[in-house]
Amino acid sequence: MYRSQTLALKYFAAAITFFGVMTLTGLLSSYYYINPDFLFGILPFNIMKILHINTLVIWLLMGFMGSIYWFLPGELGRETAGIRAAEMLFYVFCAAVAVVAVVFVFVQYGGSNAVALWLINQGRKYVEAPRWAALGIVVIMVVFAYNVIGTAIAARKTTGIITVLMIDLVPLMLLYLIAFPAITNMSADLFWWWWLVHLWVEATWEVLIGCIMALALMQLLGTSRRIVEAWLYIEVALVLGTGILGLGHHYFWIGTPGYWLTIGGFFSALEPLPLLGMVVHAVYDAGAQHMKTTNRPALYWMMAEAFGNFIGAGVWGFMITLPQVNLYAHGTQWTVSHGHFAFWGAYACGIISVLYLVLQRVRDLAVVEGQLWKWSFAALNLGLVGMTGALLVSGFVQAFVERAIGGSTLSAFISAQENAWFVDGMVTRFLLAIVFTAGYVVLVWDVLTLGRRVPAAAVASAAE
Amino acid sequence: MNALAALETGLLLGLYALLAGIWGVLFALAQLREMSIFRQSATVAYGLHAVAALAIVLSTPLGLGWKCLIVGSSLAFLALPPMTWRFLQHTHRDGVSQHDRKSSQHTARVVAGL
Repeated sequence: MYRSQTLALKYFAAAITFFGVMTLTGLLSSYYYINPDFLFGILPFNIMKILHINTLVIWLLMGFMGSIYWFLPGELGRETAGIRAAEMLFYVFCAAVAVVAVVFVFVQYGGSNAVALWLINQGRKYVEAPRWAALGIVVIMVVFAYNVIGTAIAARKTTGIITVLMIDLVPLMLLYLIAFPAITNMSADLFWWWWLVHLWVEATWEVLIGCIMALALMQLLGTSRRIVEAWLYIEVALVLGTGILGLGHHYFWIGTPGYWLTIGGFFSALEPLPLLGMVVHAVYDAGAQHMKTTNRPALYWMMAEAFGNFIGAGVWGFMITLPQVNLYAHGTQWTVSHGHFAFWGAYACGIISVLYLVLQRVRDLAVVEGQLWKWSFAALNLGLVGMTGALLVSGFVQAFVERAIGGSTLSAFISAQENAWFVDGMVTRFLLAIVFTAGYVVLVWDVLTLGRRVPAAAVASAAE
Repeated sequence: MNALAALETGLLLGLYALLAGIWGVLFALAQLREMSIFRQSATVAYGLHAVAALAIVLSTPLGLGWKCLIVGSSLAFLALPPMTWRFLQHTHRDGVSQHDRKSSQHTARVVAGL
């Protein structure tokens, strides 16, 4: 095994750990909606939410990096360039995340000054990590890019997938720099901030997961390189074609010129089209293999990725993407519902799929089977779909009662919060978050014991 | 747009996209299994998608441009699964190895140039 692949295992371990932190903080965040006094004076809701969203970003990023470190040496036939620096930075990365989390929990907030900005919280949604940590992420991203590009140069070889990946790493690094400026004009600040949030998620990350899925498909189903590369080019072109200017759907209500209503609505309305192509592709691949593979969990999670992406990003996004509806829906639980489903479908399922592929190799399993993965697959997906359904109901209430009827006044906000449908939606979401958490626990148990469990029949025969 | 219209429009748009997805999946299954039940179901799914599109055009307060976009997207949704399927068959039909080598050699030259 290459050192790069050993590093990949560490990244996967860290990713699954932070997936757990995200799940726990998400569960607790959902409980605040039922009992607003929860942890009163100890840990406010906004800190719990910051932890939930930031660990989401971190675990997905670590999952992506783990996947790339795993596939890269096999793809280019040599050890990853700069592996020593990458190994060292893994520990720095984990320690930095832990320190930031401790600061968020125990210090929570500072004054409106440079000390707070550098040491406590940058104050920018989704990228709240203090500036020293944000600088650390830039260093990690630069080294990661060097690992990939340097390996291709040292090997004097590349492939279509790696070339796409190398190109993608440039905007991935540059866009993160938008986390730094402190622009005092809120409209201007949000304008650029959305470049980071939207273009990372709906452009560079889409390409990244596309590359990872292409590499995984070749390993899982033995699909030829020619086919996966052809699809990668097409899907990247379509996703970027619709996704880049789809950025405009975040510009509807932040003080930008009115033409963004047309641009954002038009391009984001086209976004479901490439996702439908991916669904058809998934059905084709599964059918060509008759759903038979030596690694069913990986295949099922890959299928979940294609379908989840279409439904979460495509269908749920399409509901709220036209400005006329978005006027009422943005910032409500309706949007939250879309966000949960889209992240789950587009990224989380893909990383879990790769994790099972990696486990098969590491544990040297001819066939990956068992019951646990089925339970975790069912509980995680049922929990997630149920949560998004419940959030959708609550979001409808907010859009209808608070926004459209009440005109977004404080009294309308309170009316919506007290509406029975909203409350029931939140309670249901919490209950299904418990199901999701149970699914996570089973997933971890399966990952830890896969290939190490003694079959029941063997135990019985040994006893005899 | 009044309160009820906003909610109805959002739901119709979601239904519209969901039915397009169901049409795509059923179309793919019909090609895969060659069973008439899938073919008929796919036709019904697209029919329902078209009804949803019609409902959006006729009953929602969206502007003319947005309604044209909905109709255009419906046509694209109709064409996409068959086009994708044909392309998939085309790419899977041909051999693998020669193109793989050529592709790698071509991109290798680019990197070697660096």
